[in-house]
Amino acid sequence: MSKVRSVVNRLHERIDYLIEKCPNMTAAPYNYNYIFKYIIIGDMGVGKSCLLHQFTEKKFMANCPHTIGVEFGTRIIEVDDKKIKLQIWDTAGQERFRAVTRSYYRGAAGALMVYDITRRSTYNHLSSWLTDTRNLTNPSTVIFLIGNKSDLESTREVTYEEAKEFADENGLMFLEASAMTGQNVEEAFLETARKIYQNIQEGRLDLNASESGVQHRPSQPSRTSLSNEATGAKDQCSC
Amino acid sequence: MNTMDELLNEVVPQEDLERFEKKYNHELELDGEVTTETKFEYSFCLVRSRYTNDIRKGIMILEELARTHPDGRRDYIYYLAFGNARIKEYTSGLKYCRAFLDIESNDQVRSLESEFQEYIKKQSDKEVAKGMAVAGGAALVLGGILGLGIAMAKNKQKREKK
Repeated sequence: MSKVRSVVNRLHERIDYLIEKCPNMTAAPYNYNYIFKYIIIGDMGVGKSCLLHQFTEKKFMANCPHTIGVEFGTRIIEVDDKKIKLQIWDTAGQERFRAVTRSYYRGAAGALMVYDITRRSTYNHLSSWLTDTRNLTNPSTVIFLIGNKSDLESTREVTYEEAKEFADENGLMFLEASAMTGQNVEEAFLETARKIYQNIQEGRLDLNASESGVQHRPSQPSRTSLSNEATGAKDQCSC
Repeated sequence: MNTMDELLNEVVPQEDLERFEKKYNHELELDGEVTTETKFEYSFCLVRSRYTNDIRKGIMILEELARTHPDGRRDYIYYLAFGNARIKEYTSGLKYCRAFLDIESNDQVRSLESEFQEYIKKQSDKEVAKGMAVAGGAALVLGGILGLGIAMAKNKQKREKK
């Protein structure tokens, strides 16, 4: 009987030791420090989903069908030695989804506004997309203008210069990119993140505001919740 | 968490749901009927609600739209599958995915389809696991009784030797 007791005691010691050594054994530690929420918006057929696909899968999706409602993608990137998880909501460009996809603007830290350099109408509609974005996001939301399909130089209808001017006038970041060749795709997503990170560092972005679109993951892991409200920065941030 | 889970866990902001509900009811009261556009917007919010009753209502509206408005059928069928996923009606959800994929090859729908297949597989695995757990438990109890019996017998032998 005493033998059994000694074995049990030894087991207890071992368990105590393990618990002390790895307190987070039960919860997997996060492999990122921040979450940034992005939205991708713009007219139908400008290549929003293809840009997302190129960014997350590093592949071009030919014959991409119209997105239904909204799609979602994520990728972990690195800025300043900090791991950042981008949560990207890719909205449908079709007019019938315009009113309902406005829900997704709320709490976006970054907005990628896309037009097609070979179709002037998609460029002409930018001011209406911009109005929506300004009305539905925070003043600190980083808006990045992307002129997609830069590989199709021969059918270009919008010059780089005029788009650059539009971007400067409205305080937007700007690049021409190609979801097909991958040119500047990485840059657009990463520069947006750098700008958001810079805003955090300079105190221009309030991490405690639930609609900042940024969640900070303290080193001590905490449980994530499935519901929308509970994942707001307010509940997660320990600062 | 995979990307489909993120989509399925996203909940419509309450104010959006209320706004499109108001629009729906307003048209119904004023004209006695609701435009296709408003029906779709309202159902799009309903299937993303946190409440099962809302989702079911959204599914009903979408079913009607899919019957009466062929132009938007692809959107309705996708959100019918989506709504069914949110109330864990995996078999009917899978049916809508297959109906969609019969007409159009689509990765968005395919990832929803594999979500359904995974859930259905997980459920049947769970049933199997449950069965095994019951059998395992019985074996354990039996083993315990046997072990106790052997120990007691040994003990008895020892005492008898003394």
